[in-house]
Amino acid sequence: MWKQFLGKLPRKSSKSDASSGSAHSHLSNNGTASANGNPIQRTSSGNVVSSRSATVKRTASAIFPSSVVTSIEPLLLFKDVPNSEKHNLFISKMKLCCVVFDFSDPNKNCAEKDMKRQALLDLVDYVDAGTSKFTEPMISASCKMFAINLFRTFPPNTRSSAGGGEAEEEELMFDPAWSHLQLVYDLLLKFIESSSLDAKIGKKYVDHSFIARLLELFDSEDPREKDCLKTILHRIYGKFMVHRPFIRKAVSNIFYRFVSETDRHNGIAELLEVFGSVISGFALPLKEEHKIFLWRALIPLHKPKTLGVYLQQLTYCVTQFIEKEPMLASSVIKGLLRYWPVTNSQKEVMFLSELEEVLESTSPAELQKCVIPLFRRIGFCINSSHFQVAERALLMWNNDHVASLASQNQQAIMPLILPALERNIRSHWNQAVLNLTENVKKMLCEMNEELFTACKEKFEGEEERRVATEEKRRMIWERLETTAAFQPVASNTAVLVIPAITPPIAAVLS
Amino acid sequence: MATIDEPLYPIAILIDELKNEDIQLRLNSIRRLSTIARALGEERTRKELIPFLSENNDDDDEVLLAMAEELGVFIPYVGGVEHAHVLLPPLETLCTVEETCVRDKAVESLCRIGAQMKESDLVDWFVPLVKRLAAGEWFTARVSSCGLFHVAYPSSPDQLKAELRSIYAQMCQDDTPMVRRAAASNLGKFAATIEQHHLKTDIMSMFEDLTQDDQDSVRLLAVEGCAALGKLLEPQDCIASILPVIVNFSQDKSWRVRYMVANQLYELCEAVGPEATRADLVPAYVRLLRDNEAEVRIAAAGKVTKFCRILSPHLAIQHILPCVKELSTDSSQHVRSALASVIMGMAPVLGKDATIEQLLPIFLSLLKDEFPDVRLNIISKLEQVNQVIGIDLLSQSLLPAIVELAEDRHWRVRLAIIEYIPLLASQLGVGFFDDKLGALCMQWLEDKVFSIREAAATNLKRLAEDFGPEWAMQHIVPEVLEKINNPHYLYRMTVLRAISLLAPVMGADITCQKLLPVVIASSKDRVPNIKFNVAKVLQSLVSVLDQSVVDKTIRPCLVELSEDPDVDVRYFAGQALQACDQVMMSS
Repeated sequence: MWKQFLGKLPRKSSKSDASSGSAHSHLSNNGTASANGNPIQRTSSGNVVSSRSATVKRTASAIFPSSVVTSIEPLLLFKDVPNSEKHNLFISKMKLCCVVFDFSDPNKNCAEKDMKRQALLDLVDYVDAGTSKFTEPMISASCKMFAINLFRTFPPNTRSSAGGGEAEEEELMFDPAWSHLQLVYDLLLKFIESSSLDAKIGKKYVDHSFIARLLELFDSEDPREKDCLKTILHRIYGKFMVHRPFIRKAVSNIFYRFVSETDRHNGIAELLEVFGSVISGFALPLKEEHKIFLWRALIPLHKPKTLGVYLQQLTYCVTQFIEKEPMLASSVIKGLLRYWPVTNSQKEVMFLSELEEVLESTSPAELQKCVIPLFRRIGFCINSSHFQVAERALLMWNNDHVASLASQNQQAIMPLILPALERNIRSHWNQAVLNLTENVKKMLCEMNEELFTACKEKFEGEEERRVATEEKRRMIWERLETTAAFQPVASNTAVLVIPAITPPIAAVLS
Repeated sequence: MATIDEPLYPIAILIDELKNEDIQLRLNSIRRLSTIARALGEERTRKELIPFLSENNDDDDEVLLAMAEELGVFIPYVGGVEHAHVLLPPLETLCTVEETCVRDKAVESLCRIGAQMKESDLVDWFVPLVKRLAAGEWFTARVSSCGLFHVAYPSSPDQLKAELRSIYAQMCQDDTPMVRRAAASNLGKFAATIEQHHLKTDIMSMFEDLTQDDQDSVRLLAVEGCAALGKLLEPQDCIASILPVIVNFSQDKSWRVRYMVANQLYELCEAVGPEATRADLVPAYVRLLRDNEAEVRIAAAGKVTKFCRILSPHLAIQHILPCVKELSTDSSQHVRSALASVIMGMAPVLGKDATIEQLLPIFLSLLKDEFPDVRLNIISKLEQVNQVIGIDLLSQSLLPAIVELAEDRHWRVRLAIIEYIPLLASQLGVGFFDDKLGALCMQWLEDKVFSIREAAATNLKRLAEDFGPEWAMQHIVPEVLEKINNPHYLYRMTVLRAISLLAPVMGADITCQKLLPVVIASSKDRVPNIKFNVAKVLQSLVSVLDQSVVDKTIRPCLVELSEDPDVDVRYFAGQALQACDQVMMSS
């Protein structure tokens, strides 16, 4: 078919019979040949086909032979051919763009690179104009071109490479081929958005494997690339209804892997951003599948140490869920408590601010389901020796909604928070924290003085008994050890008797 | 012990502690699970404690992790292996939790328990557990199941074995990549338990599925299986089924996969035999050595000696050596560094002629490499170097390299080279050393970095040991002692350190005549740190010197120091005086 339509293309220039060598010299003399409307028609179809297949093989072996890319030739502009030929020209331009150039050497194949750039620009214009429906061969050729250009494996992560010395630079690695990639992304976006693309035919080529490989690109280090991908994914999700479940599943898998296996991915924020709008489009009542996504994918995303990079987007997704379905609030809060950071104070501050946002849209009834563990945790935060954590926790009371929630649950909250406040007043090192502590204490006192006094007395009593309680705990365990030491254990295994328990045994015997 | 009469309820204690809001207390109680079990006795442990644990697993992951670990060694407390199966339910639940560490630990404990269980119990309890997990709704259960098949399989009857194989095949094609990855990484372990004829059919088809996976993370793990599977198969089967896969992988579009192949390839050579190695693996390896991606070349370069050892010298010279030449001028320093660390091992493989003719130039160019790690890696293989090319040829090129490394701006590089100096000296001989290296050794004593000065002092001691006191007296001692006049106290301290190390080697006479006076003079130093170091050195000299010298010279000096205004000086002087007394008493 390729040869057939080439035969039909109008020949414009007498140079068309010239060897590709002379075509090149023409181009190098006049780099904008195809732009100024005097392009050279290519002569032999074999040339492009062979160079393309070589390209495919080359990417498979991932070795960049320097000599292969030599013989592509420019094509006409769309505006210069009759409508009847435009579809064929579209396909041949797409095929031309399947040649992937080595950009590691900027001086190599300059003319050909520019030719491809012109072709891409022309394609973008053509798709943008949206004149007629894309035929199936056009869609097929387009998707092939996108795949060949975009789907690549990223080089080793420069930042995490071990064994480096002090001289290691923190610079991001950008693909040198970006000038072409950008156009290809541009074209892909226009292509998906175009009303000329019939989703029914398109879905055969923009298929699961295409989408899966597109999703893999989100691991790119280049923010420009991730930005393109974000928009494209959003449009694909919008246009191809049939692929929606697949996209949700594939993205969940990326999240699972990130959380439970690698702890490293460059595109979580972007994926979440897309999902923010996906979630806001969920129909009510929420399907079970979507709730599982919240519990199994979004909530565990709070675990990785790089949370800060995508916290904003994650919080947005989570609050979207609660706004849709307020009954989810308590399970979200329990989830946050489950992943609460123990040693990372920065993360703890982030959790507190997300918590505040979640509480904003939490109803009193929902709060009841988790009030005890929640305020126990807030109590711990108030006592944090990191002043930012303590401050952040105390500042929650400045939020009217939170304060009113606390007031409605004062019977449960006061006994948990007051001891924390008292402990701060006794021993916190930071003046600002002390001031805030006093404020909150005053607030609690005004809320319910009777309860306040009762809790305070209870706390002081417990403080006095603390040493005794600890001593009792120690005694219980000691007795347990003693009892255990006298019990026979399955004969086939020797059990070490810990020397530390000998004195109590002696005490019992005497 | 006032509470001794109260009855003791071990389970109640545990429940009480596990309710505590302080996670440390909950952790402590889980860590003492065996105590509770012993106190309960075997039967009540089985009937009360274990069921309680099975139901109470909604705690922090840290607590669950501890529980998973404890249960792995719990067989004695439930009454021995015949009751081991009661431990399976709580671990089964832990195999399904979200947190990877907990799941991994639970699987580990299950394997440990399964390894001790009786065959019939395995069939009755363990195999059903594996099947339940493999059918789990959530991927975490299925991931965990993959690590258990190799325990369940061997003792199962034939029909059950067939079932287990087919379940594992399903795992290899699971919807979730996490499960496929788990299946891929456990395939080698599982395959090792499987009969030869099933290996060729069932396992190989699973393996093929995995090698064609869309996700490079799955293919990656399948490569790891190649070598393990290759060793299990007969050579002809290995050639038929593994070889094409590995050759394919060596051209995979993902560099991570190629990197894996580069790391593993030499292990396959033995499995496929010499014929196939020559025909297929050598070209594949050569491709990897010339890979576009530096990471892959690093991995391949690091295996060059191991690979060559398997080949005939002829093949190595013809195919591998040209690549090695290219790699020695690779644009990535890490590639050159990897090559430098193994290249000397090639010499015995290539034989003397090829070594001198071809390897030596490469070796010399690496020795002049601009990147210190490369040079260091060569020098650290000095013994091999020497054997191959002889000392004369070596010393000409070695010296500039050493001098440059000795002044490298990274102190770790300097440290590494100092540590090779005694070895160098013994190989090069006294003459060469005196001319070229002596000055360097002195220079290090005045390095800016403490570790270097410390190493320099130790180096002097080792040199004195190798070349003898007389040589040391001529070449080392005078120069060291001269440095005691350095205006900076830290450098004066280094001299004291060197003296204390040299004294035992030099013997009583030289110490008494040459070293001791310098130390005694330093006791008048204006810096207290020097003075208390004098006290320390004097303490170390007591065992070297005669009693009379100790009494006449050392003791008075120490007595004076013990009245110093500085508290530390007094402390160390006191210590040293005590040591003098002890020596006197014991003699």
